[in-house]
Amino acid sequence: MIRIEQLTAGQGAFQLGPIDLDLAERAYLTILGPSGSGKTLFLEACMGLLPTGAGRVWLDGRDVTGIAPEQRHISYLPQDLALFPHLDVRGNILFGAERRRMDRHHVQSRLDDLTDLLALQDIIDRRQVTTLSGGEKQRVALARALLQEPRLLFLDEPFSALDATIKRQLQVKLREINQQLGVTILHVTHDQEEAFMLGERIAVMIDGRIRQIGERDDIYYRPATLDVARFLRNQNIFDVTVEEVLDGGSLRLGGEIALTAPGRPALKTGQRLAAGIRSEEVVVIRPHKPIGPELQENLFDAVVEDILAFGGTHTLSIRLQAHPVTIEAELPNCALRDLGYAIGDELRVCLRKTSLWLVPEQAPAGRREVSDDQL
Amino acid sequence: MSRRDALFRAVLLLPLALLVGYFLLLVVSQSAFFSPAGFFAELSRPSIRAAILLSLGAATVSSAAAVTVAIPAAYALARLDFPGKRLVDTFMDLPMVLTPVALGTLILMAWNTPFGSLLAGAGLTLPFTLAGVVLAQFTVVVAISVRLLKSTFEQIDPRQEQVARLLGCTAFGSFRYVTLPLARRGILAAIILTWARAVGEFGATVMVAGTARGQTATLPSSIYLAMAAADLPRAVALVVILITISLLVLFGVRLAAERRP
Repeated sequence: MIRIEQLTAGQGAFQLGPIDLDLAERAYLTILGPSGSGKTLFLEACMGLLPTGAGRVWLDGRDVTGIAPEQRHISYLPQDLALFPHLDVRGNILFGAERRRMDRHHVQSRLDDLTDLLALQDIIDRRQVTTLSGGEKQRVALARALLQEPRLLFLDEPFSALDATIKRQLQVKLREINQQLGVTILHVTHDQEEAFMLGERIAVMIDGRIRQIGERDDIYYRPATLDVARFLRNQNIFDVTVEEVLDGGSLRLGGEIALTAPGRPALKTGQRLAAGIRSEEVVVIRPHKPIGPELQENLFDAVVEDILAFGGTHTLSIRLQAHPVTIEAELPNCALRDLGYAIGDELRVCLRKTSLWLVPEQAPAGRREVSDDQL
Repeated sequence: MSRRDALFRAVLLLPLALLVGYFLLLVVSQSAFFSPAGFFAELSRPSIRAAILLSLGAATVSSAAAVTVAIPAAYALARLDFPGKRLVDTFMDLPMVLTPVALGTLILMAWNTPFGSLLAGAGLTLPFTLAGVVLAQFTVVVAISVRLLKSTFEQIDPRQEQVARLLGCTAFGSFRYVTLPLARRGILAAIILTWARAVGEFGATVMVAGTARGQTATLPSSIYLAMAAADLPRAVALVVILITISLLVLFGVRLAAERRP
């Protein structure tokens, strides 16, 4: 559907790329990255709104690199929506159809379908788009983008200004649009929850480069670089060294903390690494509770240092007794209530071997892309 | 309202009240020299009617030309990047900082160059002609127009033009269907201000086109001639005519623009 090869672009001192990306028909890819990582710039370069330095953009096998934006037939929903204030709601939605001189009967039928799909019945005849609520504006902008029957839709943080309830409703609607209408979607966001909920695949962009691309679990549980891990809010990151490759291929790690980790063929004794585990993967166990064999490895005595509440979950800050390390464990409220932990309580924590991830310690220093198979 | 808020409000309103009082004083102080009979007598004089028509016609043509040229020029300054843009932008302000008399001098001097001779040879003469009046007014008001419209275009989010492109518009199409409608109020403001400035233009017009009665004497230059002849009642009558016509035209344009959907 769309293929991007070695695309580069610049704006001031900021350099984007080179970026390679391939998006199949009907796919939903989210590009996740912090603010200022170049996500919008990337979309603009793909749409022809920004001069590109090098590289090519292919749409359906056609090289569109030097082609005007209006000839690329990409629909676009920007962060600020950019509704036209001089037009009424209907005028906004029909703007593209009028410019492209689409067949009137077909446009009317399409408008009827979109009115149903996006629940526009109450607002379609409004005269002022400026009086619409945030959610209504989103739906109108989405209808405007979809009326031209795009096969490719670019979304630039479209829900960042909405409250949680409306955001969730529209996110569900986007999945319908992707699955029912067959629209291929490239969606950039800094919202991790949104990226993981919507994207079949996720690309993580940091400093103008795609640092990792893969399925949800690949990105979430197996970050390819330290900066990806940090951006994905991995709080438990340890400096370690490979001390021994054990029988069976597992690794014995030393350093800040002594761990046993699953083996990786590329790793050798003496190599320095960053090891980590997501806070929700940390298992907390009462001091004298019997445990099964799967929790015997990487088991540590510890003390609760602090407890922070986050609505539906609590985060325990836990100091290990045998190592100079404090780790975080996230528990749902009900689990914390059952366990009844308080600050100062003793407990045991297990950093399960299968939940650990490992990345080369120096990985993020350069602007080097890391693929999954390098580890 | 707290005392501080009341004080701030007073600080804002006091200069406004002083300005209104000052302008009222200017108008009312003319009453000693003004009589309705004199006013209508002036209106009936052929040379004054010619001055009124010349002022209105020349101001309309020069401001229309200025806005027509200023729209693309201002859009280019607001949106395009090109070498020497800052220099060009600064250069465009020159007519605003130069006194109109100096501008008129520049125009006359330019007419003494080979380029001016070429235009004169083609029949375009400036002294004592309508063309001279229009060119002088155009030169004075076009920079104001560019400045106002550049500010208007800069306030329009380029993202809206980008979205228009992706909805099927060419670069001109996005300008035609999005930018121009969004700039409507700014363009109207530019038209009103340039017209008002043009109709009151004196220095450059006198330098370039002179003050030939019935030919190039506009209302402002007729006021000057009346004052130079110490004919105060006539000068005041002409001022009242200028004020009345200007207010009527500006108010009419504003009403017409607000009625448009």
